[in-house]
Amino acid sequence: MNQENEKYNKVINILKNSKPRLESTEDIQNEVIKRITSIHPFVSAFTGFLDFLFSWVYIGWVRRSLIAASVALVAIFVYQQGVILKRIDFLSRQTIVIGKENISDQTDQVEKILMNYKNEVRKLPLRTVTISEKQMNELIESVNELQLKYKDLEKLIEDDPEIKKLIEKKLNEINRTKI
Amino acid sequence: MNKKSIMLVVSLMLLFTVSCNDPETIVTNFVHPDGSITRKIEMRSIEGDTQKRFNKSDIQVPLDSSWKVKDSCEVDEKGDTIYVRRAEKLFKNIEEINQAYSADSGSNKSISRKVAFKKSFKWFNTEFRFSERVDKRLSFGYPVKNFLNNEELRYFYSPEVLQNNNTDGPDSVKYRTLRDSIKFKTDKWTAKNMVSEWIGEFSRLTSSKASSDMSLKALKSREDEFAGLILKEDKGLDSLWKNGIILREFIGEQNALKYKTEADSALSIVTNKIFANFENYSVRIVMPGKLIGTNGFIDSTKKMIWPVTSDYFISEPYEMWAESKTPNSWAWIVSGIFLLFVLSGVVIRVIKKD
Repeated sequence: MNQENEKYNKVINILKNSKPRLESTEDIQNEVIKRITSIHPFVSAFTGFLDFLFSWVYIGWVRRSLIAASVALVAIFVYQQGVILKRIDFLSRQTIVIGKENISDQTDQVEKILMNYKNEVRKLPLRTVTISEKQMNELIESVNELQLKYKDLEKLIEDDPEIKKLIEKKLNEINRTKI
Repeated sequence: MNKKSIMLVVSLMLLFTVSCNDPETIVTNFVHPDGSITRKIEMRSIEGDTQKRFNKSDIQVPLDSSWKVKDSCEVDEKGDTIYVRRAEKLFKNIEEINQAYSADSGSNKSISRKVAFKKSFKWFNTEFRFSERVDKRLSFGYPVKNFLNNEELRYFYSPEVLQNNNTDGPDSVKYRTLRDSIKFKTDKWTAKNMVSEWIGEFSRLTSSKASSDMSLKALKSREDEFAGLILKEDKGLDSLWKNGIILREFIGEQNALKYKTEADSALSIVTNKIFANFENYSVRIVMPGKLIGTNGFIDSTKKMIWPVTSDYFISEPYEMWAESKTPNSWAWIVSGIFLLFVLSGVVIRVIKKD
């Protein structure tokens, strides 16, 4: 065994003393450094950024303050939403007045009627459609034109008291006839 | 004043109201987040005469030449011709509306009205509050809630159309009983308000000269008795008052003779206050964002509506208010990012500790 050990030590010593012959050690050193830096630059920067961003977790009072602020924020949110939901729920149980209190606007009404009509046409089966999109658009254009003319007429009547008086008289007559 | 006299005066007032060509008016306030308000007024009249129709002095709310006005003639469901005037104006802030109210020359100029707007930043939401307040007319009156229960109060303050729907609807018997009960109680309330106000005014007029038996406290102690006398007495109030019977009964013969002038003046002030000229109308408010609270009624178009009638602000101010909120999206995002940041920090700390 002792002989074997001696042989082993001799071999090791020979290997230790016989270093490889490197022609340009400086180049190898540079190449190694270059490769190392080219592989991990992003990872190290990102880790550094994260470490910087979350450095507060190691400062006790900052950590506690931020956690307290988060809890307060959540509590405020829950409280506010709770109050609002409760109030909305109370509102939904309030009486709804169905009556004549609607402010009606003639222009809006015409548009609503047209829209409803247009929707109704779309809902109908294909074979029952008797009006095309083009015709519908023409109808809308006609109504718009009519409205403009109506406004002009209204202005004309407003500007001329005699015509206004005459129309009111006629309207009253029609009204009386109805009664 | 006895019940019949009250009824007579009220009837005369109603007759006066009807005889005035006051249009049926709805005022809609479109409240904008920056505090500006678009006011729209819709007036409906059946008056055929152009001169009489929409007379400035008959209009319930301030309306002048600065408004954009549009007149039209419409036919209602019954086939009747109705003349409609629609007016619109953008007010930069509530002060402009309040100025218009203070300079009002319409039919309700004697009533003090004010609007208020409040915007509160509450991080996740911004809340808005808009209110319109009509000041009370009496200084010594009693609140109507002392006389009516909650159900009666709700009915009392409800729009006419809802009252009519109820009394003509499936539970008509219940609502007619409720209506009668309210009428009985409000007559009592009116009588008590009159007496209380008269006592207050009379005490004020005689404060420097009156003896201890005519002090405010002494007169107040007999208030119920006096109000009861008014309600129960069958004879006409005018003759009872003119003959000095009521006053003699209340403050004694000597004082009645001595303070007749003050008593008459006090009665005149009270009558003017209780039966002040006022033409009813309706107010609607459209708030920005989502509605979260109101003391008004919600109509079929999901807009809030309040009737404004003279009974509502006799003894206490009448406030119509609405509150709404709009979410602050940026605050939600900032809060979310902050919570995520703190949570991540805590997780990193736990991992590194292990």
